[in-house]
Amino acid sequence: MIIALPVFLPLAFMIFAFLFRHFHGREYVALGAATLNLLVAVFLLVEVNTEGMVKMQMGDWPAPYGITLIADRLSALMVLVSAIVFMAAMAYSIQSVDTRRKSFGFYLFSFGILMGVNGSFLAGDIFNLYVWFEVMLMASFILMSHGGERNQLEGAIKYLILNLISSFFFVAGIGLLYGKMGTLNMADIAQKLMNFETMPPELNPAFILIFVGFAIKGALVPFFFWLPASYHTPPPVVTALFAGLLTKVGIYSLIRFYALFLHQNSQFWQPLILWIAGLSMVIGVITATSQFEFRKVLSFHIISQVGYVVMGLGLFTVGGLAGAIFFLAHNMISKTNAFLVAGYVHRQKGTLNLKILGDFYKEHPLWAIFFFISAFSLAGLPPLSGFIGKYLLIKAGIEAQQLGIAFTALFVGFFTLFSMVKIWMEVFWKKTPDKIPAPIIKIALLDDKPVNINWMKWSSGAMAIIIILAGVFATPIVEYCTLAAESLMQPSDYINFVLENN
Amino acid sequence: MELVIAIFIGLLYASGVYLLLRRSIVKLILGVFVISNATNLIIFLSGGITRSGVSFIGDEAEKATLETMTDPLPQALILTAIVIGLGIAAYILALKYKYFETTGTHDLDQLSKTDQK
Repeated sequence: MIIALPVFLPLAFMIFAFLFRHFHGREYVALGAATLNLLVAVFLLVEVNTEGMVKMQMGDWPAPYGITLIADRLSALMVLVSAIVFMAAMAYSIQSVDTRRKSFGFYLFSFGILMGVNGSFLAGDIFNLYVWFEVMLMASFILMSHGGERNQLEGAIKYLILNLISSFFFVAGIGLLYGKMGTLNMADIAQKLMNFETMPPELNPAFILIFVGFAIKGALVPFFFWLPASYHTPPPVVTALFAGLLTKVGIYSLIRFYALFLHQNSQFWQPLILWIAGLSMVIGVITATSQFEFRKVLSFHIISQVGYVVMGLGLFTVGGLAGAIFFLAHNMISKTNAFLVAGYVHRQKGTLNLKILGDFYKEHPLWAIFFFISAFSLAGLPPLSGFIGKYLLIKAGIEAQQLGIAFTALFVGFFTLFSMVKIWMEVFWKKTPDKIPAPIIKIALLDDKPVNINWMKWSSGAMAIIIILAGVFATPIVEYCTLAAESLMQPSDYINFVLENN
Repeated sequence: MELVIAIFIGLLYASGVYLLLRRSIVKLILGVFVISNATNLIIFLSGGITRSGVSFIGDEAEKATLETMTDPLPQALILTAIVIGLGIAAYILALKYKYFETTGTHDLDQLSKTDQK
């Protein structure tokens, strides 16, 4: 039963949120619901960790016909990490989102995103996955344009069109796949595919279409253009939420599809995925170095770091997948926290242009430390969590004899460090320049500026502490990720578990 | 019949892509609608098109058997996709209206204010 709660809870909140959207305690109700969601995610993780997998057939229809919700170790970890990210964003939003946005349903649509994300992680049926993607996208479209400032509307149009096109690719692929296989249940498709010696070539168009859909959602090269064009326009907490959750859902679905279907045709897919991973890492990190806007630098880094995850997937060894899963979880937290600090910088200075900013370390040393922790975790310095992720991935690359991709990952790490040092120098370290040029991008400031910023500080600080703890006490997490990777490498367990009817 | 519908889907995609590449936002939105409908037709076609009788009621002679019956699931999927498409259409038109109200333009080349020069 607990597996339905991560979907049901946000839905229930959304229904009731209509009633109290003008009520002044709505922030705390939302934070309470986010906490409840975190508790559910913890229970789900514990249950999955003891039993291996948990499933639920909606309406008690048996497996290939009804809708299946299934959580294995990977999905349970993803639900937990997104619950942490979501809770931090909700706490941060209490003092960083203006009242006008709050009364127009900011929390309603935030929980829409949470519902879509949780649903995608737990879906056991391709069409159901598509529907959850759409739930998530509709909520994110609205949050992207919520408030109706000119910059936001520009970003929203770009974001909207490219994401819709990715949905069309995905749903056309589903249609073709259904026409060939006659089923939509992922385990059922995987079982039918196993009966073939090689992957039948008729299925390739469907899988290519689905892959392109996921690649656009996950912002992989060459499909990443929507991300840096739109992520710097909405309020900072929205960007933080998107950066933590949305692209990761595309990557999660790609991991699931690769493990169940695509690896059966690995002589085609493996080189392709490794090339895309390498190019994403390199292109993302190099374009980031040329940017002079705080959030744009971080947005381009999302592309580069998604490349790391896909690299672990492309290796398709236990070590590589474990590294990919660890890196995915680490990246959700570190990236969100970097964006949260960017939101605070914007609130204090009114701009995010690196050329104008300065002196932030002197004025706000605590926030400088938060940024230091998350940025250098992204760059991969020990003992932070990013170091463990990169170490696992590069080690797996060398063990799998894929030296090219392993050394690419190593060098991209140096470039990431360069970008992070650049932000550090420009925003936190240098003196504020005397002659200030006109700001390039101006986001509207808050209507009321409460002096108290404790919620912002606590949420960002808690994330920073999680990053340090995940790096220092990495052993149990890595063990868990290795178990998750092993179960991904054995799709027959997943198939039997879904299809057996007890 | 499959061939005719397949060619028609191709034409729809071609005109949708053509509309997407125009500079006007209105045409861009129309292009999205056209492509969305072409995609729905793909699902419809993938279920297979058969000319069959009534499935459950009527004379025994006219009734479709299990072999000749069309698979109903793709049509259920299209129904879902159409409903989602309707929601998106409502949102996208509202967004277009708001954008026009704020900026007074519907030229896509004007969407470069937030880009770095």
